[in-house]
Amino acid sequence: MGWLIRSGGVAVILSVFGIFYFVGKEVLPLFRSADVAPVGKFDALAVPAVLGVDEWGEMPFFYDGGDKVVFLSVADAARREIEVPGLAGLKITAHAFDPVHLRVSLGLEDGRVGSFLVGYERKFSGDGKSIIEPAVTAEPWFSLKHGEGAVTAVSYGDSGAGRVIAARRGEGAVATVSVLRLGMKRGLVGKGKLSLLEEVEVTKELGAEPLLLRASQNGAMVLVALADGGVAYFLADSQGVSKRQTFRPFDGVSPRQMDFLFGGVAVVLTAMDGRQEQWSLFRAGRDGERMFGESKVFPQLGEGRVIFAASQRNRTFLTGSGRDLSIRHSTSGAVRWEGALDIDPVTAVLDAKGGHFIAAAADGTARRYSIHDPHPEAGWRAFFGKVWYEGGSEPVYQWQSTGGSDDFEPKLSLIPLIFGSLKGTACALIFSIPVALLAAVFSAAFLPLEIKRVVKPVMEIMSSLPSVVLGFLAGLWLAPLLETRVPSVMMMTLVVPLAALATGYVWCRLPNSFRNRFAQGSEWIIVIPFLALAGWIGWSLGPVIESLLFVHKDAATGNEIADFRLWWPQAAGISFEQRNSLVLGFMMGFAVIPVIFTIAEDALSNVPESLTAAAAALGANRWQVVRTVLLPVASSGIFSALMIGFGRAVGETMIMVMATGNTPITEWNLFNGMRTLSANIAVELPEAPVGSTHYRTLFLGAVVLFAMTFFMNTAAELLRQRLRDRNKLV
Amino acid sequence: MPSSVPESRPDFIQVDHFSFHYGEKQAIFDIDMAIPEHRVTALIGPSGCGKSTLLRNMNRMNDLIEGVRHEGDIRLNGTSLYDPSVEVISLRKRVGMVFQKYNPFAKSIYENVIFSLRVAGRSKKSELNETVERSLRSAALWDEVKDRLHDSAFALSGGQQQRLCIARAIANQPEILLMDEPCAALDPLATLKIEELITILKKQFTIVIVTHNMEQATRCSDRTAFLYMGRLIEYGHTLQVFEKPSHPETEAYITGRFS
Repeated sequence: MGWLIRSGGVAVILSVFGIFYFVGKEVLPLFRSADVAPVGKFDALAVPAVLGVDEWGEMPFFYDGGDKVVFLSVADAARREIEVPGLAGLKITAHAFDPVHLRVSLGLEDGRVGSFLVGYERKFSGDGKSIIEPAVTAEPWFSLKHGEGAVTAVSYGDSGAGRVIAARRGEGAVATVSVLRLGMKRGLVGKGKLSLLEEVEVTKELGAEPLLLRASQNGAMVLVALADGGVAYFLADSQGVSKRQTFRPFDGVSPRQMDFLFGGVAVVLTAMDGRQEQWSLFRAGRDGERMFGESKVFPQLGEGRVIFAASQRNRTFLTGSGRDLSIRHSTSGAVRWEGALDIDPVTAVLDAKGGHFIAAAADGTARRYSIHDPHPEAGWRAFFGKVWYEGGSEPVYQWQSTGGSDDFEPKLSLIPLIFGSLKGTACALIFSIPVALLAAVFSAAFLPLEIKRVVKPVMEIMSSLPSVVLGFLAGLWLAPLLETRVPSVMMMTLVVPLAALATGYVWCRLPNSFRNRFAQGSEWIIVIPFLALAGWIGWSLGPVIESLLFVHKDAATGNEIADFRLWWPQAAGISFEQRNSLVLGFMMGFAVIPVIFTIAEDALSNVPESLTAAAAALGANRWQVVRTVLLPVASSGIFSALMIGFGRAVGETMIMVMATGNTPITEWNLFNGMRTLSANIAVELPEAPVGSTHYRTLFLGAVVLFAMTFFMNTAAELLRQRLRDRNKLV
Repeated sequence: MPSSVPESRPDFIQVDHFSFHYGEKQAIFDIDMAIPEHRVTALIGPSGCGKSTLLRNMNRMNDLIEGVRHEGDIRLNGTSLYDPSVEVISLRKRVGMVFQKYNPFAKSIYENVIFSLRVAGRSKKSELNETVERSLRSAALWDEVKDRLHDSAFALSGGQQQRLCIARAIANQPEILLMDEPCAALDPLATLKIEELITILKKQFTIVIVTHNMEQATRCSDRTAFLYMGRLIEYGHTLQVFEKPSHPETEAYITGRFS
């Protein structure tokens, strides 16, 4: 028999460690940095003015400003040259590369701007292998009307429907900048024709010599970096092109590099001295316009040529100067990888899948590297620190794991969830601890045995109520009911306990001859009608109090409305929601009270009768017996009851999911909801792809939840043992 | 023997045709007896004879049990225990009780002794100190514990703990001291000490003691009541009951033919 018990114990320990192993396996990859390994070399190519690559990183192309694009297959080192149609004989004076659309934009000596697109098609042959077929398509040319001389810089933005080309003509102080808006004219049949809508010359609005041009990939913005250190921001929309802002990222030092990140609302700039910052668009005030503001400072780069390549999949980017490159992530500001190349690169590119990067040197040698970084968004800072997200006006703790579009920036702070768990637990416990403990004391020390025999099983049945039923009741019945009667609830919580105390006081003043007619422990029958009456009074007083105290003055009409729901946001400045902490507290009470009650009642009932008898024989009344003997002796058991209640509340999921509104906000407001770690896992895990950052982060939430309860329980157990030793029995 | 004992009122505790039921089961049948002041009265009898029940009715400790009822009355110094205007709590303050198993609280020796004062709401330091010394001296424990009054009561030996319980019971100067087999859990030496103590304490208190130990009854009681099957069989001076029992059951019991 002994071996059976032993093996059972070992099995339990093993399965606990098994859980640790599994959870650890899911969570640990989040904290790994990126691995980068060289996987290929190419040599003796022309000077790579433009370096691009297909989404799998298997066939980079090199363009040197001539009329041909060179494709190089990684698999078999096959080199293939494709001529760009219509480029022969033209003198190309400016070019730029947009890795989103694989577009090479061009500027000519004669003042024309245009572009060609590189395409890859993956074909599967019969034997299961695939080959990549590259293609090059030319786009129409547009002549610049404004300015003189050759085009010296060009940038192309394309939202699909509308396009923008920013171009500079001339050099130095006489350089001019034009922004061309292009539109698709749709015919009745066939493809639409790309045509020029307007050309806007913006040179006068710059105020200094233009150095760099960058149109956002979606064609909505044009940024012009200036020699005086400023960056001019132009908005291009269907209304035209208008200047919105000039910002100065480096206090007068002009930027040397300026590129949009994935998503197109944040731009990374590097100064001549190597400082690197991220500026993003956000509203500074409540209703201000979206302007660029500094939102991140990255570690400084060395001097020299700046390499920059943004990922087309997430907010990582490859940057560096000289041979030293690093992979950085914009959201957390973390450096994912750092290393030195064995060539001196002039340009680099990340493939669209994020699995490789290719760097090329001036002499035509190139290197291909594999990147293994499945969780760039993760990290201590992202999970537990304040992060300045794109579009936000300040660093915040925020949880928003998924969004409507691919270029969404995941916000993975666990702080709002930890806060939600603590708030939910606090709400549940504040409500249930007094009720449960007082009920346990009453049942153990005051109630006659025959009633106690009914009360205990009923409470235990209460604890077996499925929490999904409680959650359903909370969300769909209690929440709408309480929504309109908050003042009534407040009055009831005030009036009912007062009525109980008052009844007790009056009872004690009654003569013994009257009181002795009731058996000890049956006094509660007398209190019940008074409590019911008090409850009714409290409930009916609510609207009266509401009309006296909680009057909301409507700003628009000047009408005065007695409604707590309107008054609270106005008075407290925080929101009122139907599914709020109050509702949660009530319903969690149903889940937590029976747990605390049952264990505390057992602890109190197990106090040796000899001690209570001794106290009673010494003239202690029932309440004094409770205070001096029952509570101290049962304190360790009561403490266990509270801890188990805490554990129940922290881990409770269904009620939290259904009654809290699941809003991951960090606000100590009794009248709004929360999202707890447990509810978060329940809600999001079914939608998280296995192995993704999101999936692993949910597991991290589970680890945090476990750590919280583990530390609480350990601390509580130590405290409980001290209590027990102090009140130990003979 | 008891020459130094003060003046005694013969019916200090008057048990007046008292019957007692635990639910369906009747435990005491119409007992009628008068217990004199400043005497030790021993209740003897076989297990289940109702002696403890009778004792526990003298401070209404049986009220704590569910489903009990009684007939008749018990009067302490003229006051009826079951008068509707009696407050049980104040009644218990007049009656100290010592239990079979020593049961000090998980508190210091000092706090144990003054428990009854604390629950009565008295907190004057000098009064408390005085009470502790007086009670512990009365319980013949003062010299052993005076240097460690604030140690846990559990640090004492069994006999000392029981004497602490006696000190605790007499701290609030009750009129009556009820002892329910006070030596049942003690070794012979400790028992002897408690018995010596009882003979001293009767100068101050009227003592009713339940005991299984015949020698103990003869050694320290003045009166002995023999109860059998819930009835009072014989009641009289201890010497008389033990030497010339008038009932055959008494004789059978005290000679050890049944227990």
